[in-house]
Amino acid sequence: MAPSQNLETEGITRRRSLAALAGAGALALAGCTETEGEGGSGDGSSGDGSSGDDGSSGGSDSLSGSINIAGSSTVFPLMSAVAEDFAADNPDVSIDISSTGSGGGFSNFFCVGETDFNNASRPIQPEEEELCEENGVEWVELIAATDALTVVINNDNDFATEMTVDELSQIWQSDAAEMWSDVRDEWPDEEIERYGAADTSGTYDYFIENVMGEDGHTDDYQATEQDNTIASGVEGSEYAIGYFGFAYWFQNQDQVTPVAIDNGNGPVEPSLETASSGEYAPLSRPLFTYPSIESLGEEHVQEFARYFVSQTTNEDLVAGDVGYVPATEETQEEQMQVLEDAIEQAQG
Amino acid sequence: MATDTDTARIEGFGEVSRVRGIVFEYLSLGASVLGIFALAVLLIYVTIDAFDLAGTSPVWLLTYFVTLVVPFLAFCLYSARDREVTRRAVTVSGGGLVAVAAVFTAIETFVGQIPRLNWQLAYLFVVVAPLTGYLVYVGARGRPGAVGFGLVGRLIGGTAIGLAFSVLFLVFDERLWFLAYTIGIVPAALVYGYGRVRDVSVASAAAIPIAVLGVLVAVLLRPVVDVYPTTVFIYLWTLAIPIAAAGALLVNGRGNRTAALVAGGVPLALAVVIGLFGRAAGLGVGGPNALLVISVAGVPTAVYLHRVFDVGEGVTGLGVPVLLVGGALVGAFVVETFGIPTPNPWVSETFLTEAPSRNARDAGLYPAIVGSVIIIAMVAVFSFVLGVATSVFLEEYTADSGVIGALTRLLQINIANLAAVPSVVYGLLGLGLFANLLGFGFGTAVTVSLTLSLLILPITIISAQEAIRSVPDDLRRGSDAMGATRWQTTKNVVLPEAFPGILTGTILALGRAIGETAPLIMVGAATTVFSAPSSLFSKFSAMPMQIYAWANFPQEEFRYGVVAAGVITLLIILIGMNGTAILLRNRAERGT
Repeated sequence: MAPSQNLETEGITRRRSLAALAGAGALALAGCTETEGEGGSGDGSSGDGSSGDDGSSGGSDSLSGSINIAGSSTVFPLMSAVAEDFAADNPDVSIDISSTGSGGGFSNFFCVGETDFNNASRPIQPEEEELCEENGVEWVELIAATDALTVVINNDNDFATEMTVDELSQIWQSDAAEMWSDVRDEWPDEEIERYGAADTSGTYDYFIENVMGEDGHTDDYQATEQDNTIASGVEGSEYAIGYFGFAYWFQNQDQVTPVAIDNGNGPVEPSLETASSGEYAPLSRPLFTYPSIESLGEEHVQEFARYFVSQTTNEDLVAGDVGYVPATEETQEEQMQVLEDAIEQAQG
Repeated sequence: MATDTDTARIEGFGEVSRVRGIVFEYLSLGASVLGIFALAVLLIYVTIDAFDLAGTSPVWLLTYFVTLVVPFLAFCLYSARDREVTRRAVTVSGGGLVAVAAVFTAIETFVGQIPRLNWQLAYLFVVVAPLTGYLVYVGARGRPGAVGFGLVGRLIGGTAIGLAFSVLFLVFDERLWFLAYTIGIVPAALVYGYGRVRDVSVASAAAIPIAVLGVLVAVLLRPVVDVYPTTVFIYLWTLAIPIAAAGALLVNGRGNRTAALVAGGVPLALAVVIGLFGRAAGLGVGGPNALLVISVAGVPTAVYLHRVFDVGEGVTGLGVPVLLVGGALVGAFVVETFGIPTPNPWVSETFLTEAPSRNARDAGLYPAIVGSVIIIAMVAVFSFVLGVATSVFLEEYTADSGVIGALTRLLQINIANLAAVPSVVYGLLGLGLFANLLGFGFGTAVTVSLTLSLLILPITIISAQEAIRSVPDDLRRGSDAMGATRWQTTKNVVLPEAFPGILTGTILALGRAIGETAPLIMVGAATTVFSAPSSLFSKFSAMPMQIYAWANFPQEEFRYGVVAAGVITLLIILIGMNGTAILLRNRAERGT
């Protein structure tokens, strides 16, 4: 580093300055020390599998640990809103959330024991239950909120604003109608452009189960996990149709037009009210989160789960910020009971 | 240079047509302009969104243009001292104003509204930004400009490196570092220094074993010892004091002992005072990180100031920071007094220091920034070490012919093909190998950075090989002729010559790694985390992951404002990183 020409003078100052450094270092050492455990927290809870923080007498208000969450992209905004508030109150709890799709979350992360919670926009499926069982992961199902799956068309489309469930099924089933006129005679003789959820999505599963049933889902559509892509696709073409969760439409009401669905009792438009009253059938659906029972043995996970259930009735958060239908007081009480039973099971 | 006589002669033959050449020239010009134009439009819109410039009042723009941009441009012109440049700059800025306004109005009237853009903004991006770039370039060739930009560069660069250090200490144990430094590095440095001064080669040679031994002892001692200095003192002892000492030695080497004391001591004292008492005195800054940043930025600045005063040329250039800060303050004052509406930028202090939120205005990128910085630091180390080692081996140590030669060629082909493997495949590899088999955990910093290192390894290896291959063979033969061993030749001749080229390749590869999303999704990196990671094995998020998640949020504010802010932050960090590497490279090029 130092040029080699004047080694003589340099050596002296280096030695002197080193002596000075040593002095300063000794002062620092002597003056201001702290013992292990004052500053460096977080080291203690590095082992995730350890069930139960031993000796929980150390004050219940200072929770610490990590919570791993994965799953549905539909539940993601709701879960991150709740997690944000919880993390603000409990700075030592580190929460991470991945948006992987309901199925992706179950099969890649939750049922192999990597995550504490899995969000889902449809109930857990038999194969996933088997996988969880194989790996010894037990879970409990909690209802997070209600969503009104929204079918949307272009703003210039003034003919298909109302549809029966049967017509919807004709558009989306595996041997789907090609032209709008194939579905209803008075509709124009134009090709249908379809934008829908990808098959890793819980929205896809739910849509098949409640609209098409046995007939399955068409392959002739643009499949994506991105609501954004569906909306811009539908916005760009007069003869397009798409479907996604209610939240996206709720936040972007001018972009596309929702279709009123006729389930035999006249057409009903999706809204927070019609979804909560159950009028908007069959597309209003419950959203779930699945805590793992083993994780519920840990205090910070318990507290987070309790907080989550308590927030499901929070109208500002669930409806206002995210755009889902909040749970009723009754549902919340039921869910809290389910959760407390699971916690008891975890501790017992 | 074709002249009239040339053309005449060519036409005299009556055979050669220049049309194809001209068409080709303009086609290639068109191709390059098209790409740059598309990118420029995107960046302009991202900038407009991120800084909320669309709704800015022209008066606000004008105020800062007059108080900040014009004086700065004037300084550049002063530094360039070139009448021709001044004349050109004035013509371009004046003529550009008229031209942009006219063209813009014409387009708006005849073609249609251009969204989120007005002619003032267009002028800013189309004329002022390129002009500023050009004038900075020209100004830096004059002495005052070089001095001024050098000073600003050291202030900004030092601050950035200081911040990067404090981010790294979030996950790396500073107490272990303290022990390793005290037991390993300090004794090794003392022994080495003694060896150099007294010319005892045994002592110099012993330095590295001592350092390694000390670090090992430190690792063993770390779980046993449980009393440590506070973080402020650890930073002071292990970083601030050595940096100040190095600065002082550097100045001392130029001959002046008092100046050396001042250059090392003043920044150190400032750092200590603010680090220890800043918070208590109500300055708003303080603590270990302030100490770190001030000493990392302050010492090089002080050394640089000494050099400038020593040389005595272009001292006026030292006014540049004053000019910039003063201009910004005056602008703010004018805006405040006349109540000019100010834009509400998405890139703000809270965006950089807060956790993500469901409200667009409160949303921040802090945990993801920390994650990205740590990942990139580790990727840089892994891929550099692995890449350089592999390429040196392939180029210098393997035979060109025979069975070994064939094997080497096979390996080469494989490496070249690996560079073309899609990143998702590397994600799967990382998931299987690092997360599942080796048990480094899903989405932890270690898993993510090892995966990304593998991803960019082929690029690093290939470019390092090219760099090593371009070292003339004469140099190697010359070194051999002096009796040097192959290791000595590699260490003293080949690597120093090839270093700039190797760095260039690594910079390009790291740029790819920092923006990668697919492998991160595969290895299970989190989309959103709410607090900065506390260890290498806690769950990580990275900037591209968070930006990708925001782009899918239902709220329009997220999809435009917050995403744009994220993109700008990512770009700034990328530029900072590349800037550091480019500086290192230029230094190395000058050194050889």
